[in-house]
Amino acid sequence: MTEYCVASLRSFLELRLYDDPKPCTDNILTMINRQTFVLFFVIFSFSSFFGCATVGGPSQVESQTLLFVQAPGDTLNDAQVPEEDEGFDAFEDEFTEAGIPTVSDPLSAYNRAMTKFNDKFFDMLLSPASRGYSAVVPEGGRGGVRRFFKNLFYPLRFTNNVLQVKYEQAAVETARFLVNSTVGLLGFFDPAKEWFDLEAYPEDFGQTLGFYGVGPGFHLVLPFLGPSNLRDTIGLIPDAYMIPTTYLSAIQISGTSESDRVLIAIGVESYRRLNDASLSLEEYESLRRDALDLYTFLRDAYERNRQVKIKE
Amino acid sequence: MQKAVFILIGLIFMVQPAFADNIAEVDRFMKERLDGIMRLLEDKTLQKTTRNEQIIDIISEAFDFTTMAKLSLGKKHWTRLNKEDKTRFTQLFVERLKASYLEKLDLYDDEAIVYSKPVQVKNKVQMMTALVSGGDKITMLYKLYNSKKAGWRVYDLELEGVSLITTYRSQFNEVLASGTMTDLFAKLERPEK
Repeated sequence: MTEYCVASLRSFLELRLYDDPKPCTDNILTMINRQTFVLFFVIFSFSSFFGCATVGGPSQVESQTLLFVQAPGDTLNDAQVPEEDEGFDAFEDEFTEAGIPTVSDPLSAYNRAMTKFNDKFFDMLLSPASRGYSAVVPEGGRGGVRRFFKNLFYPLRFTNNVLQVKYEQAAVETARFLVNSTVGLLGFFDPAKEWFDLEAYPEDFGQTLGFYGVGPGFHLVLPFLGPSNLRDTIGLIPDAYMIPTTYLSAIQISGTSESDRVLIAIGVESYRRLNDASLSLEEYESLRRDALDLYTFLRDAYERNRQVKIKE
Repeated sequence: MQKAVFILIGLIFMVQPAFADNIAEVDRFMKERLDGIMRLLEDKTLQKTTRNEQIIDIISEAFDFTTMAKLSLGKKHWTRLNKEDKTRFTQLFVERLKASYLEKLDLYDDEAIVYSKPVQVKNKVQMMTALVSGGDKITMLYKLYNSKKAGWRVYDLELEGVSLITTYRSQFNEVLASGTMTDLFAKLERPEK
């Protein structure tokens, strides 16, 4: 058990800042470092306790080391079936156990429960609701609504592109916003892509943090939102300030109270998510069928996909 | 000195075509297969079952299913299996893989496919493709190796950077960490939902 705690501590420390990509980012690095480290530490000291307390019995870490200890026995087997060994050798560098990145997961018990909850939420509410919605609104209309919201999220993409010194992409985003908001009728259409071949460059603050070397931290499944990790969850906070729907509650509409406006903002955001879901229901269902173990599958796929997106 | 330069140039010319040949071969091989699949998908007159059978025929030429099964289970577990279990596992895994691939194609049937030029990575070749629809792009990276028997074959596929082999392997590890091969067979046979 103590070994497990040490392992999770070590993986937390991997949330370190790597060699800075550019010297001019030094100040930003220290800034992020100082501000977030305190927060990380508070969350971590809670989580490591929670993680160690909940993961009972022989942990995975222990069972894996056991298997490694037994590894020399493999040579006997290999001698009996030499052709199998040859098959593996060609891929040794790519698929060795060490080559497969392990995900820090001290909260796996909570994460599993939340994955189950989200899956139930999908089956009981999201899926039937979006099927009903799809029956009323044709796919073309839903695509338009999706593009409309996507266009409104331009400040988010622009800011994070700039923060990652991707000025060219930020410029393309601006051009897209200008074209789509006008010629594209408030963003319901995407002439920027269709006529000028300008593609969107989605970037969020989690990716920005990753760009400056902040590691993912432990994996964290969020209610309704699904797989995430410590870094990306923290990233949601600055991102929220760049999403127009957040400011809906600040717009003064006569005859409405503060709480009404918050409800309106939540309603609009829920509608956006419902609309998005209606366009990708089958994708989740298909992924779910691929999974032998839904939680492990979603966790690994998420972490790997984020790694790739940060590198881009 | 001059001699050395000539030898160097000579070497470059000798090595270069070998690389270029591989690239060109993979490029041609994969494009033929993928174009074939796209043609089948666009042909709305075909019955879905016959269409799927033909798609499976095409991908069976391109994919080295046996190697994919082995790699996804990993050396550690694979070498412990007896012969029947190896056959059983391969069969179940391949069935699952085929079903999953067909399902993915169903999701993206109206999109255009964009090919990038294959690149050599060590002694293997990778070819990036992208399915484009509207403003969205889904990348699929086909990874091929040169099998002595059958030439270039796909041994892994990365969907949006997520490797199929790695994903399956970590799940198999997870199942086998707390269960037996029998549990794994049961899970492979009966998808969760």
